[in-house]
Amino acid sequence: MIEIKNVTKKYGNFTAVDNISFDVKDGEIVGLLGPNGAGKSTTMNMITGFIEMTDGEIIVNGYDISKKPTKAKKQIGYMPEGVPSYQELTAKEFIKYMAELKLVDRKVRKEQIEEVIKKTGLEEVQNKLIKNLSRGYKQRVSMAGALVGSSDVLILDEPTVGLDPKQILEIRTLIKELGKKHTVILSSHILSEVSQICDRVVIINNGKIVAIDTPENLEEKTKNKNILYVTVEDKKEKMLSIKDKVKYIQELELVKDNEDGTKQYKIVSEENVDLRKKMFEILPKEDITIFELKKAEASLEDAFMKLIEEKSENIEDNIEKEGGEE
Amino acid sequence: MWSIIKKEVKTYFLSPIGYVFIGIFLIAFSISFYLELMYTGGRVQFNYIFTYLPTILSFAILVPLLTMRTFSEERKNGTEQLLLTSPISITKIVIAKFISALIITLIAIACTSMFLIIIRCFGSLDITAALVTIFGFILLAMSYISIGILASSITENQIIAALITIITFVATWVLPEFLQAGASFSLINMFSKFTTGQINIAYTVTYLAFTVLCLILTITVMQRRKSAK
Repeated sequence: MIEIKNVTKKYGNFTAVDNISFDVKDGEIVGLLGPNGAGKSTTMNMITGFIEMTDGEIIVNGYDISKKPTKAKKQIGYMPEGVPSYQELTAKEFIKYMAELKLVDRKVRKEQIEEVIKKTGLEEVQNKLIKNLSRGYKQRVSMAGALVGSSDVLILDEPTVGLDPKQILEIRTLIKELGKKHTVILSSHILSEVSQICDRVVIINNGKIVAIDTPENLEEKTKNKNILYVTVEDKKEKMLSIKDKVKYIQELELVKDNEDGTKQYKIVSEENVDLRKKMFEILPKEDITIFELKKAEASLEDAFMKLIEEKSENIEDNIEKEGGEE
Repeated sequence: MWSIIKKEVKTYFLSPIGYVFIGIFLIAFSISFYLELMYTGGRVQFNYIFTYLPTILSFAILVPLLTMRTFSEERKNGTEQLLLTSPISITKIVIAKFISALIITLIAIACTSMFLIIIRCFGSLDITAALVTIFGFILLAMSYISIGILASSITENQIIAALITIITFVATWVLPEFLQAGASFSLINMFSKFTTGQINIAYTVTYLAFTVLCLILTITVMQRRKSAK
């Protein structure tokens, strides 16, 4: 559906997007994830044909965005960052204008506008001026503008920024629903969002792709250590000596000294060892009462931070090396 | 393309700009009519009303009001992204914006026809001279609007866009006073030839070529910005 091949975008000497390639299949929801200024929006702007790439090729539904922009753009519904819209128009007028801009056939236009209004839950506010709408509704209007024209591809730049938790949930449900019929690329800072909605995640940092995988696999990749968090009441201060008594423990450290007299410890063990059962056996023998014990789950957040840090370190190393050579 | 024209014209009237443009232009035109009335002692000629300072001055200030927002506002609000990612080419977008501003100007010019009726009823009307003058004024408006649109495509600041437009217009106006060679570039001087009631083919072509040149430059600026963005 979408092929991005060796795409580079340069601004003078600064490379915003550096030779990235990835594919998006039919009906897939792909999330672009990365810190601010990583190149997510630039990538999206190149896919939609808003800016021209310095080098590379982008093919949307069989049409090259540089060579056949009109046909390629027709395949895309785009919701830009910051949800720009014409403030002086009503929600319905805006959606109608977007339908006209997308050259939707006059016969089906009215029907499609009604359908999109219903889908985005704008029935009640459709005749209100956009400038008088709340942020959440503005977001929906923008989303409706992207949906109208029933494009095969939807590109959503930060679709949930600035919404309250309830609205975020609604928009997420809507995106998931849309993913059944459309191919969706969305960008986000919010990792949980990406892991909930997307089939695949493309992590971008400093204009380069750091990782492409399913959220589950990314999480799996970072699960290299077994970590337990245990909160105990330990009047005899014997907790730290446990490390010598259980051979699998690699690290044991105090994390938090709670006000109620309990203490939280972090226990790192060797891989493929589950210490939970052992802890329940051994701690009561030492007169230590367990208040809480949990296994730390590796989250996408960890995966993200790890990947970003690894890459940054590599870059720093390279810079140092290059500096040294000079 | 028509959808953009429709929306643009509608927006002019959703904001006060459309009304302000037509209103102030008509007030200025009426003052010019009055001045002509005083000057000729009652034998008003429609074509000369266009040459009075109030008409020209209001026109010089009002057209930039119309054109300053065309691209600057879209860029500032980010709606440029919606427009430029739609399957409509930049050329069509620029032409649509140009036609929309021209439509508002044409409405204002059409409103001046009430003076035609007044003169027809109470004086003698040289209809040929009047029509040729209107034709010339439309050509002048087209050139001036195209300057305004070009200025608006360069900057996202509407005030700067308006200032560039006015300065360019005034420069072509006063340049002949200081520079002999400047006379051939004066948009106003060319227009004054039309008020005599004769269509000047050379000037017609010059006006049209100037308009097309400015629009091509606008399209080029927009396309260049796409790769520089």
